[in-house]
Amino acid sequence: MTDDDVRLHILRELIASGTAPSVADTGAALDVPESDAAAAYDRLAANRVIVLEPGTHDVLMAAPLSAVPTPHIARMADGRSHYGNCVWDALGVIAMLGQDGGVETVCTDCDAALTLTVRRGALAPTDAVVHFAVPAARWWENIVFT
Amino acid sequence: MLLFRSEEHVNRWCEQRGLDRGAVFTPEQLWTVAKPWHGPRLERGWRRFTPAEAEAVFAGAGLTDTFWHL
Repeated sequence: MTDDDVRLHILRELIASGTAPSVADTGAALDVPESDAAAAYDRLAANRVIVLEPGTHDVLMAAPLSAVPTPHIARMADGRSHYGNCVWDALGVIAMLGQDGGVETVCTDCDAALTLTVRRGALAPTDAVVHFAVPAARWWENIVFT
Repeated sequence: MLLFRSEEHVNRWCEQRGLDRGAVFTPEQLWTVAKPWHGPRLERGWRRFTPAEAEAVFAGAGLTDTFWHL
């Protein structure tokens, strides 16, 4: 088992079920001891590949997917939907899955519904704008607020 | 990062919270970044970009000022 096996298992389970696998689930699926799976989760988190709930091995983020509900939903052409950690990640879900899709979210200021639509690899024109409050070099000081 | 209906909404939101306005750009630029950033994540052997690679991805979307330096 490599850390990449674990990373891919987490992503594939999130895509398939919407739920991130526990270290016990991952250990069983990859036929390794739970402690080995836990160590891989720790390394992936230390390398900023996944984000864990503090003090646990519960996956919070496996970019571009969120393991918890967010206001940023990637609704795919196959009828399935997935939570992104932010609009960037929700667009990333569409890129990762290689399908047409739309990101359904809201204006941060006024809560108006906003949709970004991707068809055949192109983003449909929109009047919406993106705002980053935090410069790129400081994103990991608090990855939940950028 | 957050999405807004327009720059007017960004400005109002920042003002109400006493936040400095950060970087404002288009969803098209974000899509240009999201494709190489997240598109290959299901490939075996994927790895995070180095800072130089990430800056090149930002630059490919026209995001070149110091806000985007790593």
